[in-house]
Amino acid sequence: MEIIMSILSGVLFTTGVYNLLQKQLLRIIIGTALISHGAHLFILTMGKLKRGAPPILEYHVDQYTDPLPQALILTSIVISFGVTSLLLVLAYRAAKENETDNMDLLRGNENE
Amino acid sequence: MSNLAVLPIVIPLISSIILAFFHKKLPLVRSVAKLVSIINLFVVGFIITYVYNNGPVVLESGGWDAPFGIILVADMLSMTLVLTTNIIAVAAVFYAQHSLSQKQEEFYFYTFFLLLIAGVSGAFITGDLFNLFVFFEVLLMASYALIVLGGEKVQLRESLKYILINLFSSMLFVTTIAFLYSVVGTINMAQIAQRVQEVDQQGVLTTIGILLFFVFGTKAALFPLYYWLPKPYIVPNPVVSALFGALLTKVGIYSILRVFTLIFGHNPSFTHNFFIWIAGLTLVFGVIGALSTNNIKLIIAYNIIPAVGFMLMGIGVFNEASISGTVYYLVHDMIIKAVLFLIVGAIAYLAGTSDLRKMKGLIHHYPLLGWLLFVSGIVLAGIPPFSGFIGKLLLLQGAFSEGEIIIAIVGLLCSLLILTSVMRIFIRGFWGERDDSLTVHKKTARKLTIPIAFLLCFSILLGVGAELFYPSGASIANYLLNPEIYIEAVLKE
Amino acid sequence: MIFAIFIPLLFACFVPILSKYKDKIHTGIFVLLIPFIIFLFFIPFIGSEFKPVYTSFNWIPSLDISLDFYLDGLSLLFVLLISGIGALVTLYSIFYLHKSERLGAFYVYLLMFMSAMLGVVLSDNVFVLYGFWELTSISSFLLIGYWHHREGSRYGALKSMLITVFGGLSLLGGLILLTVITGTTSIQEMIAQTDVILNSPYFSLIMAFIFLGAFTKSAQFPFHIWLPDAMEAPTPVSAYLHSATMVKAGIFLIARFSPIFNTSEWFFLIVSGIGILTLCWGSYMAVRQTDLKGILAFSTISQLGMIMAMLGFGTKAAIFAAAFHILNHATFKGSLFMIAGIVDHETGTRDIRKLGGLMTLMPISATLAFFGAFSMAGVPLPFLNGFYSKEMFFDVSLGLNEPTLLAADLLRQAIPYLAVLGSIFTFVYSMYLVFGTFTGEKHLDQLPVKPHEAPIGMLISPAILILGVIVIGLFPNLVNESFIAHTAEAISGKEVHKHIVFWHGFIPPLYMSLIVVIFGAGLYIYRKKWTDIYLFIPGQLSFNKVYDRFVEGLETYSAKITNSYMNDSLRRYVILIIGSIILFTFITMISTNGFAFHTNDLADFSITEVIVALVMAIAAVFTIFTRNKVAAILILGVVGYGLSLLFILYRAPDLALTQLVVETITLALFLLCFYHLPELQPRDESIGFKTTNGIISIGFGLLMTLVAVSSHSSKWFQPISNYFVENSKELGGGYNIVNVILVDFRGIDTLFEIVVLGIAALAIYGLVKLRYNKEAE
Repeated sequence: MEIIMSILSGVLFTTGVYNLLQKQLLRIIIGTALISHGAHLFILTMGKLKRGAPPILEYHVDQYTDPLPQALILTSIVISFGVTSLLLVLAYRAAKENETDNMDLLRGNENE
Repeated sequence: MSNLAVLPIVIPLISSIILAFFHKKLPLVRSVAKLVSIINLFVVGFIITYVYNNGPVVLESGGWDAPFGIILVADMLSMTLVLTTNIIAVAAVFYAQHSLSQKQEEFYFYTFFLLLIAGVSGAFITGDLFNLFVFFEVLLMASYALIVLGGEKVQLRESLKYILINLFSSMLFVTTIAFLYSVVGTINMAQIAQRVQEVDQQGVLTTIGILLFFVFGTKAALFPLYYWLPKPYIVPNPVVSALFGALLTKVGIYSILRVFTLIFGHNPSFTHNFFIWIAGLTLVFGVIGALSTNNIKLIIAYNIIPAVGFMLMGIGVFNEASISGTVYYLVHDMIIKAVLFLIVGAIAYLAGTSDLRKMKGLIHHYPLLGWLLFVSGIVLAGIPPFSGFIGKLLLLQGAFSEGEIIIAIVGLLCSLLILTSVMRIFIRGFWGERDDSLTVHKKTARKLTIPIAFLLCFSILLGVGAELFYPSGASIANYLLNPEIYIEAVLKE
Repeated sequence: MIFAIFIPLLFACFVPILSKYKDKIHTGIFVLLIPFIIFLFFIPFIGSEFKPVYTSFNWIPSLDISLDFYLDGLSLLFVLLISGIGALVTLYSIFYLHKSERLGAFYVYLLMFMSAMLGVVLSDNVFVLYGFWELTSISSFLLIGYWHHREGSRYGALKSMLITVFGGLSLLGGLILLTVITGTTSIQEMIAQTDVILNSPYFSLIMAFIFLGAFTKSAQFPFHIWLPDAMEAPTPVSAYLHSATMVKAGIFLIARFSPIFNTSEWFFLIVSGIGILTLCWGSYMAVRQTDLKGILAFSTISQLGMIMAMLGFGTKAAIFAAAFHILNHATFKGSLFMIAGIVDHETGTRDIRKLGGLMTLMPISATLAFFGAFSMAGVPLPFLNGFYSKEMFFDVSLGLNEPTLLAADLLRQAIPYLAVLGSIFTFVYSMYLVFGTFTGEKHLDQLPVKPHEAPIGMLISPAILILGVIVIGLFPNLVNESFIAHTAEAISGKEVHKHIVFWHGFIPPLYMSLIVVIFGAGLYIYRKKWTDIYLFIPGQLSFNKVYDRFVEGLETYSAKITNSYMNDSLRRYVILIIGSIILFTFITMISTNGFAFHTNDLADFSITEVIVALVMAIAAVFTIFTRNKVAAILILGVVGYGLSLLFILYRAPDLALTQLVVETITLALFLLCFYHLPELQPRDESIGFKTTNGIISIGFGLLMTLVAVSSHSSKWFQPISNYFVENSKELGGGYNIVNVILVDFRGIDTLFEIVVLGIAALAIYGLVKLRYNKEAE
C-alpha cells in the first residue's frame, strides 16, 4: 500500500508542478496546494501505514501507528495554510493592481 | 545555564508580540525596538563568551531528553552567526526610521523585523531538522510580510514569485525530512548524524542528502537555483533588502555547512566535488549578473550570488583551512552585504534614481557616503587588510592545498570582477562633474550614514583584528570536521 | 623601520585637517617633511659594511601573517628612491598644484601610496606584501582619477585598476601556492627552500602567477596599455608613481624572487623575452606620440622592459646593470617628467606639435631637459649616468650563458640585435622629445598661455635630479661599492664586485653604442620619411582596442547572457530549478546506487484505499484540464477531502479533522479571492509548452516517488516514536499521543507554527488595509 501511496503522492507532485508551470495565477496556486497535499501524504507514508491503532492510548492496545509523522504533518498543514492564505490575498491584490492574472505578463524591466 | 540558548529567539519573539499591540505609537515602538535590539546584542554577546569558555550549550526544550524533544544547540558556529545577525539588526533598526515611510512603520514593520531575527536565530540554533523547517517558515513568513510591506505594484508582483519559489522549496524540504525519517527513524540532527555514520551513508542516503542540498541551495541562491533572487531583493525598502541580503541566503548556506559536515560528510568524493563545480558556476554566473546591469541595487543583489559561491567552494574543498574560510567569509559577507544594501539604498534615495546612467558627481554632495562605498567595495573584493581578505585567503589556501587549482583561479578572477562591479558605481555615480540639479538632503544622508559606518567598522575590525577572531574560526572548523563532538554534546553518550 | 613605513599613513589622517588652512599655507609644505624624514632615516644605511636588517611585529600570528620587514640591498635602493623622489615630487607639487585644488585629497592619496610602496619593498611576509601591493594599485587608481571630472581620468583610472588588480590577484594566487608548498609565509625562508619549490608540480604555475603580477604592474608588453592612460594623473604623480616607483614594483618582485626562479631557463626565456620585446615596442611606440607625457610614458615602458630583460639574463653583471639602471632611470626620467610638467604648466599644452623653440624662453628647463634626454638616449659622454648603464646592457647582452632550451637559445642570439634596435628608437624619441620642444620654430600663437621660465621652486626638484645624473655620471663608483653592489648581491644571492669605468677600449659594446648614435641620429633627422610605417604597424592592431573590446564586451555580453535567462518569467525559473533538481538527483541516485525496492514490509492492500487514491489522482489531473475556475477550485477540494479520508483510513483522526477544517477554509478563501479575477483562459499553448511542462512535472513526480520507495525500502533503524507512545501518559499526561507530541515533546514547533500564522494574519491585514489607506489619501 505504501507503494501505491507513494505513486499517488508522486501524481500529486506531478500535477502540482504542471499547474505551477502554467501562466494563470489561479492555476499556479492550485499547483502549490497540490504539492503540499503530496508532501503531507509522503510524510504519512514514510511513517509506515496501518501498523496499529490510531495513536490514542487505550488499555488493550499495544501497537500504535507512528505518531511522530502525524504531529509533523499537523504542523506542516497549519503552516501551509498560513502561507496559502497569504498567497491568495497577495495574488488577488497583485492581479488587481497589475491588471492581469497572467504570470507571463507580470514582469518588469531593469530599472524600476 | 542551558536556558541561555533560547534567549536569542525568545527576546525578539516576545517583544515583537508586544510591539504589535502598540503599532500606532511610533515613537514608543521605535525606541523599544532599538532598545530590544541592543539588549539582545548584549545577551548574545554574553552567551557567546559563555559558550567560548564552557563549550556548547545544549538546551533540551521542555526537559525532554535528546533525541526525543527539540534540542537547541548554542555552539560557537551558531552563536557567531547569531551575534552577527544581531549586529546587523542593530544597524538596521537605526536605519529603518529614516528609510521607511511612517505608514510602513505603523504596519508592523518592527514586529516583522524582530520575528525575522527570531526566525533566523532559531534556524542557527536549532538541533532538530523539522524544527529547522519551522524556523525557516518563521523567517520566510516574516520576509513575505516585509517584502510586501508598502503594497507597491512591483512589490506585489515580485513577492509573488519569491513566495511561490520558496513555498515550493519548503514543501520539498518537508518531503525530504520525511524520506530521511523513513530511513533513519529520527529527526534529531545529532542522532541522524550518528545513524548515517553507522551505515556509512550508503544507499539512498546520498540521494536524500542531495535533495536537502537543493532545498538549502534554493534558499542560498546557488547556481542553477538562484534565478528568483535578484529582483525580489531590490523591490522592498533598502533596510529590508539589507536584512534579506545579509541574512536569508546565509541561513541556506549555514544549513548546507551544518548538514554536510555533520550528517552527510561520508561521501565527499561525490557530494563535495559536486559542490565545487556548483560553486564555480555560481561564482561565474553571479559576477556576470553583477556586471550586466546599471541598476545599482541590482548590482549588489547579484553580488550575493558569487559570495555564496565562495562559501560553497569552502564546503566543497572540505579541509580545515577551507571550512574556517567559509565560516569567516560567512560572517564577513553578512556584514558587508548589509552595508552595501544600506549604501545603495541611501544612494538611490539621495540621487532619486537607482539607474547608474542618470547619476554623476555625487561625491561633491555626499563625500562620506562615497568613501564608505569605496571602502566597502574593497572589503567585498577581499583586498587586505579587511575582512574579505582573511576569508578568501583561507578559502584559497584550502583549495590550493587540495590541488583544486581551477576553482581557485575562478575565485581570483571573480574577485576582480566583483571589485569592478562595485567600482563602476563609484566611478560613474560618484565621480564626474557636480550635479547641481540635485536636491541635497545632507541631514538625512548623515542619519543614513551612521548605521552604515557602524557596520563597516566591524568589517574592518574583522580584517585588521583577525587575530582576535580567526582562532575561534579555526576551532569552529575543527569542530565541524569532527562531528563526534556535536553528537556527544547533544546525545550525551 | 615599521614606524617609517606607517608614518605617511598616520600623517595622512591629519592632512584633511591641515588642508583646511590651505589658503594660508600650502598643505604640501607639511607633507614634504615626511618623505624627507624617511630619506634621512634610511641614508645612514648606505655604506660598504651594510648588513640586512630584520624587524618583526606580530599581527595575525595564527595565520602566519606578521609585519616582518627586511631591509637588504634591494629594498634599500627602493626605499631611498621612494623617499628621495617622494620628497622631490612633493616639493615640486607645491608649486605645481594651485591652492584651489583639492589638496587634502591629493596628499592623502600620495601619502597612502608612499606607505604602500615602502611596505611592498620592505615586507618579508608575502601576504603583507600583497596587501601593500594592492594598496599601491588603489592609491594609483585614486591619483589617476584625481581630476575625475575628466572622462579620460576616469577611463585611465579604471583601466589601471583593472589591469594592476588583475595582476595583484594573480600574484596572490602565486603567493598562496608558495605558502602552501613551503609552509612558510616569509620570502627569505622560501628562498631557503628553493629546492622544494623547484621540485613542486606547481612550479610553472607559481612562476606564471607571479610573472603576471609583476608584468602587469611594471607595464610589460602586452599589459603596458594602462600606463599611457595613467598620464591623466597630475604630473607629480606621473613622475613619482608611474615612472620612478610604483611601476618598478614589478621589477622589484622579479628581483626579489629571482633567487628562486633564475635557475629555470623558462625564467630567462619569459622575463628576458618579454622585457626585450617591451623595450623595442615601447621605444618604437614612443616616437609616434604627440603628447609629451605620452612619449615619456612609452619611454618608461621601454626602459622598464630593458631592466626586466637584464634581470632575466640572470648573470651577475646583468643584475648589477639592472640595479644600476633602476637608480639611473629614476633620476633622468623623474626630471624629464617634471620638465614636461613645467612645459605644460607654463604653456598650457603638452602637444609637441604646438611646442617648439622654447629654449630661449625657458633656458633653465631646456638645459635640464637636454641633460636628462641625452642620458636617457645613452649618448657616450662621461657625465651622463644613462650611458654607463646602457653600455653595461650591451655588454651583458653579449655575455649570456648558453641555455639548453632551443627557444631560449634563439632568444639569446637575438638579444644583442634587439637591444641595439630598441636603443636606436630610444635615441630617436629622446631627441624628438627635447629638440621638438625646445628648438625649431616657435608657435606662440597656438599656445593657450604665453610661456616663460618656471618659478624657481618648480625647478629645484628636476635640477637636483639632473645633478644626480651628472654626479653619478662623473663618479659612478660613488654609488657602486656602498650601494648598488649590495642591491645586486641581494638579487643574485652572490657577492658582486664591479668597478665602473667610462673607457673600456674598443670593444663590442662601444661599437653598439656608436651604431645606436649614428642610426638614431639618422632616423631622427629623416623621421618624416619613415613615420608612415605606423599606419601599418601597429595600425589597427592595438592592444588598447583589445582592452576596450574586453571591457565593452564584459558589459554587453554579461547583459546578454544574464538577460537571456533572467527574463523574469516564473515559469522559466521553475523549469530551470526543477529541471536541475531532477537531473542532478537522478545522477546522484544512479551513481551512488541509491535506488532500493523491497516489498517485505508493506501495509495490506486495500481496495477502498485504492479507490480513494484513484479518485484523488483523477481529480488532480483534472485540475489541469478544467477551464472553469470554480470547477478547478472544487476539484482541488476533492483532492483535499480525499486526503482527509486517507488520514482517517490511515488512523490519523487529528489530521483528518484538521485537514477537513483547513481545506474548507482554504476553498472559501480561494473562491473569495478568485471570484473577481478573470475566468481561466482556454489553454492555447503550443505543443512545446505542453511537452516541457509534461517532462518537468512527470520527471519530478517520478523522482519523488522513486526516492520515497527507496527510502521506504531502506528502513534501517527503529524510529524514535516508541518513546512517545511509552511516555505520553506518564510524562506528558495525555492519551492522545499526537497532541502530547505537539504541545509537549515538540512544543517549540507548535509555538512557532502559531507565530507563522500570526505573521500571515498581520501581513494580510497590512496588504488589505494599507491599500485602503492609500486610496483614502
